[in-house]
Amino acid sequence: MEQPTTAPNVPLKNRSLAALLALTWPGLGHVYQGRTAKGALYFLCIFGLYTVGFALGEGANVYWTWVNPLRNPEHFRLYYLGQFWVGLPAWPALIQATLIQQGFQPLFNGFMAAPMLDLAMDNGVREVMQDVVRRVFSLHQKYGGLKEIGDIYTTIAGLLNILAIYDAFEGPAVHQESTSASEVPSTPGGESS
Amino acid sequence: MSLPAVGFLIPLGLINAYWFAPPLILVISLVYAASRHEAWPLIFRHATRLFLMITGILALVTIILLVINTQV
Repeated sequence: MEQPTTAPNVPLKNRSLAALLALTWPGLGHVYQGRTAKGALYFLCIFGLYTVGFALGEGANVYWTWVNPLRNPEHFRLYYLGQFWVGLPAWPALIQATLIQQGFQPLFNGFMAAPMLDLAMDNGVREVMQDVVRRVFSLHQKYGGLKEIGDIYTTIAGLLNILAIYDAFEGPAVHQESTSASEVPSTPGGESS
Repeated sequence: MSLPAVGFLIPLGLINAYWFAPPLILVISLVYAASRHEAWPLIFRHATRLFLMITGILALVTIILLVINTQV
């Protein structure tokens, strides 16, 4: 099978699989392609940013809710649309939201569960969710506006991983590149003498 | 389950929020540059240029806002 490349030294292998791996964990797609150093850079930058942001919110700033954004915009978690793209580190929030939506008790004492209370909730679920809500509101008292910085860090980490996924699928955006300025052709498409 | 508070080293609430901008700009610059190029010298050159540009624009906007603020 022919391996598509965008530059002579960038073997992309199975591009779809690489993109899927990059979506699953930042940098993993590049490691699969043999672009280990670049994978490490993406991992350090994206996962590092996500981890710092996650820690600033004590793990309570990455969550999802299955609500209609038009009917219930107050509880719709816009940040998660960005956070989702970090991959596995952010996906437990989907599981927790689904469990709560289906009326089951969230796992791990409500870790990454949305701080929402509903009258229709079962007593056991409500007990766990009250703890979650209390924890989230105490964050503001402890750290002030830093929780918002955690929201921003985790969201931007996810959005940056979209660039990494695209890089794994399509290769670097600049196809013909040279490392020194003198090697760049003087005219577009022209030949250097 | 909550993560251990990261405020045990320094009281995080006392840190000016502006200090959280440079690491964010650095990461954005590096990831964007890495998505554009494959050669490391080009990645670092592009990332440095982007970092300086974003920081410069932010500093300029801050200065303009401060000047306007003192004259209002």
